[in-house]
Amino acid sequence: MDSFNIMFIVLAVIIASCSVLTVVSRSIMRSATYLFFTLLGTAGLYFLMGYTFLGAVQVMVYAGGIIVLYVFAILLTRGTQDKLSENTKNKIVMSALLSLVGLGIFVYIILKQNFMELLSQPGNLALTAPDESVMTMSQIGQNMLSSAEGGYILPFEAVSVLLLACIVGSLLIARKR
Amino acid sequence: MYKDKNYFEGLFCGVKSICIGLKTTMREFFTKKITEQYPENRKELKMFDRFRGSLVMPHNEKNEHKCVACGICQMQCPNDTINVVSEMVEVDGKKKKQLVRYEYNLGSCMFCMLCVTACPHKAITFDQSFENAVFDRSKLIKVLNKPGSKVEEKPVVKKTAPAPAAKPAETPAEAPKPEAVAPKTAEEQPRIEAVAAKTEVEQPKPEAVAAPKEETTKVEQPETEKAAE
Amino acid sequence: MFDFSVISQWLHTLLLSFLPEWATILVESVIVALVIITLYAVFAIVLIYMERKICGFFQCRLGPNRVGKWGLLQVFADVFKMLQKEIIKMRQTDRFLHDLAPFFVVTASMVTFACLPWNKGGHMIDFNIGIFFILAVSSVSVVGILLAGWGSNSKYPIIGAMRSGAQIISYELSIGLTMLTVICLTGTMQISEIVQQQSELGWNIFRGHLPMVIAFIIYLIAGNAECNRGPFDLPEAESELTAGYHTEYSGMHFGYFYLAEYLNLFISAGIATTVFLGGWAPLHISGLDGFNGVMDAVPGIVWFLGKTFFVVFLLMWERWTLPRLRIDNILTLEWKYLMPISMLNLVLMALLVAYGLYF
Repeated sequence: MDSFNIMFIVLAVIIASCSVLTVVSRSIMRSATYLFFTLLGTAGLYFLMGYTFLGAVQVMVYAGGIIVLYVFAILLTRGTQDKLSENTKNKIVMSALLSLVGLGIFVYIILKQNFMELLSQPGNLALTAPDESVMTMSQIGQNMLSSAEGGYILPFEAVSVLLLACIVGSLLIARKR
Repeated sequence: MYKDKNYFEGLFCGVKSICIGLKTTMREFFTKKITEQYPENRKELKMFDRFRGSLVMPHNEKNEHKCVACGICQMQCPNDTINVVSEMVEVDGKKKKQLVRYEYNLGSCMFCMLCVTACPHKAITFDQSFENAVFDRSKLIKVLNKPGSKVEEKPVVKKTAPAPAAKPAETPAEAPKPEAVAPKTAEEQPRIEAVAAKTEVEQPKPEAVAAPKEETTKVEQPETEKAAE
Repeated sequence: MFDFSVISQWLHTLLLSFLPEWATILVESVIVALVIITLYAVFAIVLIYMERKICGFFQCRLGPNRVGKWGLLQVFADVFKMLQKEIIKMRQTDRFLHDLAPFFVVTASMVTFACLPWNKGGHMIDFNIGIFFILAVSSVSVVGILLAGWGSNSKYPIIGAMRSGAQIISYELSIGLTMLTVICLTGTMQISEIVQQQSELGWNIFRGHLPMVIAFIIYLIAGNAECNRGPFDLPEAESELTAGYHTEYSGMHFGYFYLAEYLNLFISAGIATTVFLGGWAPLHISGLDGFNGVMDAVPGIVWFLGKTFFVVFLLMWERWTLPRLRIDNILTLEWKYLMPISMLNLVLMALLVAYGLYF
């Protein structure tokens, strides 16, 4: 039990409990806040694994972007119905079915990866802190813009075209007629 | 950003005006500060001349004031701050009104200065005192005329000295003055000092004009006489 | 130049000699957290005093001068007053979110605070994505402000929070672009490396000449807007919104917002110092060896603090000069002026770097 494992457990507890609270909370604003904690916990996991870039992106995009967008949307559309409606029997059954299906898929995938076997092999500890510079910023940048094998130039440009289309679309909607 | 300017003109105009503003504040940063450290500099602290501290009635060195108890100030006062108590006395076979007490309630004064501007004799003025706090409200009612004081004797002037309207009242050295007003200069001195920088105050009128006015005001003031009784 | 990592290494080996590794890390984390919180409070007090004095001087006044010599104890008195004030519990508010919001704001600013390079080897958080991390973490405070506005269940806070959200999100663009300009020149994001580079090659603002000066000015403007200060303080415009998003707060919860506001000012200035003015790197003029030797003798933390407080003074100068902008003017300034200019600036910088036209 080293510090790495302790931190992992702390983060895992935060993520799990906040995820549950996100779902069961009756006020939509509280749900957004718990979701925010969940996302921050995920970012913490990334930092723990040494993927600092990924962690920072998680904080930047999800905390600074998505959650703020949610909160803005809630603030702009806030009415009397910002509390959830009462659960009907039909609703409970449907959501239980859906979550069971989701759980099944996840458990299947996790079991298929043979994590336990990998862990049980000696000298192959998956739960150790990797070096911080496992993936440096410049490496990511090089890969992102390289057209060689394993380069990401095409998806990168495709995403930028998508964003451009989004901007044009929003301008079209917001334009004064 | 100015609408009537194009993009770059507006940008440079904005930058220029910001620089002017920054220059101004930086100059202010290094100027001598005007804050008065009140209790420490109590000895030398002098209020500015136009400050209205409390109403006073200047007396000259012979314990004479200029108030003829006409009561115009009392009528002018919007707050009933002033109460002029007068009595009728017979002087040389002529009935004349005389001031007994000039009561002034600082607590209800709103320092509008209507009384001072209305006074035909410049008998009252505002001084620069500001430590007006007292422990009891009754202490705010002040009697402005000093005990034993009497109205200032005017030199009897029959012929009207045509005092020019633009005559500087502030200059004590009034050498080229018409002879009718000349003997009065010494008495006028303390009053002039009190009113010194009050530039909005009218020039002192020739006494010959003021004398008949005194008669008329006497007739006009039945109220004050009643109050005196 | 004195290297602070000597001390931290010594402490680390000392603790390792009688503690297991996880306990060592725990103890070190606690020590670092205590240091951060203490520094945070100390700098807040210094900044509040400085702000009040400088504001007074700009307005031809003397500022606080009664409590203690030159009013030095005034801020302490205010802090103690704030500490003993009651935290009011209001009905019909979301208590949980209302009480949580100040901690978001103060935590975001504390984490950013920890990223500053105080001395050679004297930085607390030093990732290889340093600047990006700072930008990411500082965006958390927006959530806190929005929650404060919502949790108060009152009109002024919600208006202030919406304004603040729109403003901070907009001005983050300019800050991001100016940071990209800097990274374009330095080629690294790691804060310690950026400063190390500047101590060897000269400060960035001199190395990158024109585009760096433009970026510095844009950063100062956008940084002031990020802190909700200066001419951009309309989220808390006291004449129209009483206090904006923290209207309903009292006691130390208000104090956290207050602290975070001043420390954000310090952090903005600190980041500007780090990326433009060389952090702890002393001023060197090539050719004057004697002069450089004297400059090297001054410890790095003095350089860092001196430069940071100089930038803080610039920001305060800006703040007490310009009148408050309207919300549409603020957004116009950002979207029509600062952002296009910083984009062009980035292109210019890239050209300069590509052709090697920098020092």
